[in-house]
Amino acid sequence: MLKTTTFAAAIVLAGVATTTAVQAQEKTDFRVAWSIYVGWMPWGYLDDSGIMDKWAEKYGISVEIVQINDYIESINQYTAGAFDGVSATNMDTLSIPSGSGVDTTALIVGDYSNGNDAVILKGEGTLADLAGKPVNLVELSVSHYLLARGLDTVGLTEADLGGVINTSDADMIAAFAADDVEAVVTWNPLVSAIMETPGATKLFDSSDIPGEIIDLMVVNTETLEANPDFGKALVGAWYELMGIMSSDTPEGIAAREAMAEASGTDLAGYDAQLASTQMFFDPAEAVAFTQSAELPATMVSVAEFLFDKGILGEGAPSADFIGVAYPDGSTTGDANNVTFRFDTTYMQMAADGAL
Amino acid sequence: MRLINRRPGPALRAFLALLPFLAVFAVYAVASDIRLTENPSDRLLPAPSTIVETAARLFTEPDRRSGRILLWHDTAISLQRLALGVGIAALSGLVFGLAIGLLPHVRAALGGFVAVVSMIPPLAILPILFIAFGLGELSKVMLIILGITPFLIRDLSQRVAEIPTEQIVKAQTLGASSAVIALRVALPQVLPRLVQSVRLSLGPAWLFLIAAEAIASDLGLGYRIFLVRRYLAMDVILTYVLWITLLAFALDWALRALSRRAFPWAGAAA
Amino acid sequence: MSFVSVENLFHSYGRRPILERINLTAEKGEFLSLVGASGCGKSTFLRLLLAQEQPSRGSIRIDGAPPATEPDRARGVVFQRYSVFPHMTVRENIVAGESLSRPLGRFFGAGARAARARADAVLERIGLGHVAQAYPATLSGGMQQRLAIGQALVAKPLVLLLDEPFGALDPGTRLSMHDFLLELRAETGMTVFMVTHDLEEGFKLGDRVLVFDKPRWDPTDPEAFGATITYDFDARNGGIPFQTIKEDIHVHRPSEA
Repeated sequence: MLKTTTFAAAIVLAGVATTTAVQAQEKTDFRVAWSIYVGWMPWGYLDDSGIMDKWAEKYGISVEIVQINDYIESINQYTAGAFDGVSATNMDTLSIPSGSGVDTTALIVGDYSNGNDAVILKGEGTLADLAGKPVNLVELSVSHYLLARGLDTVGLTEADLGGVINTSDADMIAAFAADDVEAVVTWNPLVSAIMETPGATKLFDSSDIPGEIIDLMVVNTETLEANPDFGKALVGAWYELMGIMSSDTPEGIAAREAMAEASGTDLAGYDAQLASTQMFFDPAEAVAFTQSAELPATMVSVAEFLFDKGILGEGAPSADFIGVAYPDGSTTGDANNVTFRFDTTYMQMAADGAL
Repeated sequence: MRLINRRPGPALRAFLALLPFLAVFAVYAVASDIRLTENPSDRLLPAPSTIVETAARLFTEPDRRSGRILLWHDTAISLQRLALGVGIAALSGLVFGLAIGLLPHVRAALGGFVAVVSMIPPLAILPILFIAFGLGELSKVMLIILGITPFLIRDLSQRVAEIPTEQIVKAQTLGASSAVIALRVALPQVLPRLVQSVRLSLGPAWLFLIAAEAIASDLGLGYRIFLVRRYLAMDVILTYVLWITLLAFALDWALRALSRRAFPWAGAAA
Repeated sequence: MSFVSVENLFHSYGRRPILERINLTAEKGEFLSLVGASGCGKSTFLRLLLAQEQPSRGSIRIDGAPPATEPDRARGVVFQRYSVFPHMTVRENIVAGESLSRPLGRFFGAGARAARARADAVLERIGLGHVAQAYPATLSGGMQQRLAIGQALVAKPLVLLLDEPFGALDPGTRLSMHDFLLELRAETGMTVFMVTHDLEEGFKLGDRVLVFDKPRWDPTDPEAFGATITYDFDARNGGIPFQTIKEDIHVHRPSEA
């Protein structure tokens, strides 16, 4: 009887446990996950257009690009070891994979939100008018961070609100139409849809805190170290497409149209979203941004927010619990527990045309 | 001896009943151990000891920011929503079930309608619910009500229709009016079935409750689970899952005990 | 005018005739046994008497009242099964015989106490005093049928309709139920219609035995014609000395008796 149980256990374990065990080895098949968001739509197009396959072939590997409908689930799956890379924001990378001890490298710094995230009020008003009002948002998300930063600017804190109500992003538009909802914080394309409602006022958006909400492609550090070709293929494919989509050639327009369609809007709508997104089409710009002095400051502020909300876990003694490393070798947080690394090596190769 | 005729003794029976639990626990413990050896900060499968520590903290220590013990607040508000939703659903199930089962005109008017409505997945029409009932308590309770009432109505009207015609005729020969037949003959006989149907619909009711709390809320068991999912705090999630399982099991047990006490005649027939 | 009169009664389900041209009168206090092969319409006739169904043509009057459109207190009934309420105790079942006709279906206060006392007296009479607190499901089949008859009688119906009341009982119990029914009848002098498939039982209990059968028969279409009362025996004293045949039209086919 005991034997059977042990045997059954062994089978299940093979599924749950081995996902992490194989990562550090050299391998040729890779999987990355992405979810729908303006700055990540190129991942879907890379897959459909064959650009990814072309670059993977060049380095003798294969890369499977998988779309996950639930953003948080895609990061959780990556953290659990089911994927080698995932599209995520700087904040969620710090809180989920890095906070879970999965050493993660930001391979591609794709863009930062420059108006894509916004605090919206029903009717006229300013940020100060939020005092005493309930606010609907996806709690602990970048929306929550944006709200906290916004309230800071007018000397309010979350305690001054009438409460924050965790609301699924999928239901945010319907929520804004409900009578008892007074203010929401959300991201595009929901922001554009909600702003079409008569009487909706944008109080604060991410262009007021430029460069703080950063959209990345993060990969497992060990996997990347053991397989540099994986990083080269991803970065090479990404910047080839960046070059195409930033141009107004028929090819570029076709690419943006395909991405617009995949995200459920049209070319004009997608271009409008791109306008509020600071895309780094040129790898050199991405490198410059990642090497800037503002990035460590942003990450410290994000870590403090996460610690304040208890997201870093009850075991976290302080906001400095997790170490973040920057391209120049400097770190913030605990230097002995670095699990989040900004690395410009591969983007620099792209900038130098060395891929 | 044939396998179908072999019966376990009391000790073996207890062991066999325990076995699947032990097996699941063993598989979990080993899997967790393997992952934690790989990465001591892994959150996906926290060690059983970590879950126990987390549970002790969640049940006894107040939240750092609000100063309240969140688990008890979550439990209270969730149970309140569940009780309201299931209670209202049971009451309307009973009223409509009796009307449809006893009155041919109501059956003609509502029988098909209820059958069709019971096929609508309530989660699919959430935006309409939000706009009609707001995002507060009402919409959460309504989701539970809409989710389980059609099932209760169908089940109870079926049960009313199954009351032998002989009894209904007999009541008429004793001079009973339609109202008296409903109150004194049909109602008491479907009450045990109501308790049984409510037990069956508690599963879906929990599901709708968790879904409603996951979508828009600031307190509740489902809210907490979906909130902490954002940082993969599986120790908290697993504690809540075990707690919900325990609550659901206790509710089911209480209803069964209530049914046995309140309707001795139903058991006597068996 | 007779106490129960059935005039030119026809009944069919759709286009299928069940009963044809039934004329019958019964006097107050008479006990009529209805016998016949399965499917010959005797139970249908009982449902018509009960007013649970309406005849296609013709009428049934009890005590000169207009034909009833639904079951009422003039008709007491005991079926083979399901005649008592399983959710009520034995005593509550007897009380229900009186109380269901009240606005809320129950007595209150002093009325309730008086009804309970009357019910206990009835239970003593029918030999169920010792199980007053029990639920029907715990009683034997014979006791359940006693209870059903007692419950029907406390409502004081004009006629008592019995639909194979002892059909599900074992032979010994059946005999004691016969005695029970005969005693009750001697006490109350009630008018009874009893459907039975047991000829012996019909003759033993009844004053008259009505035989239901199809007078016409189409071998290629057995359902083309309905049944009627083909014989009306005088069953007093076992039916032997005073046997009379009242029907004009009859077809005697011993093979089907």
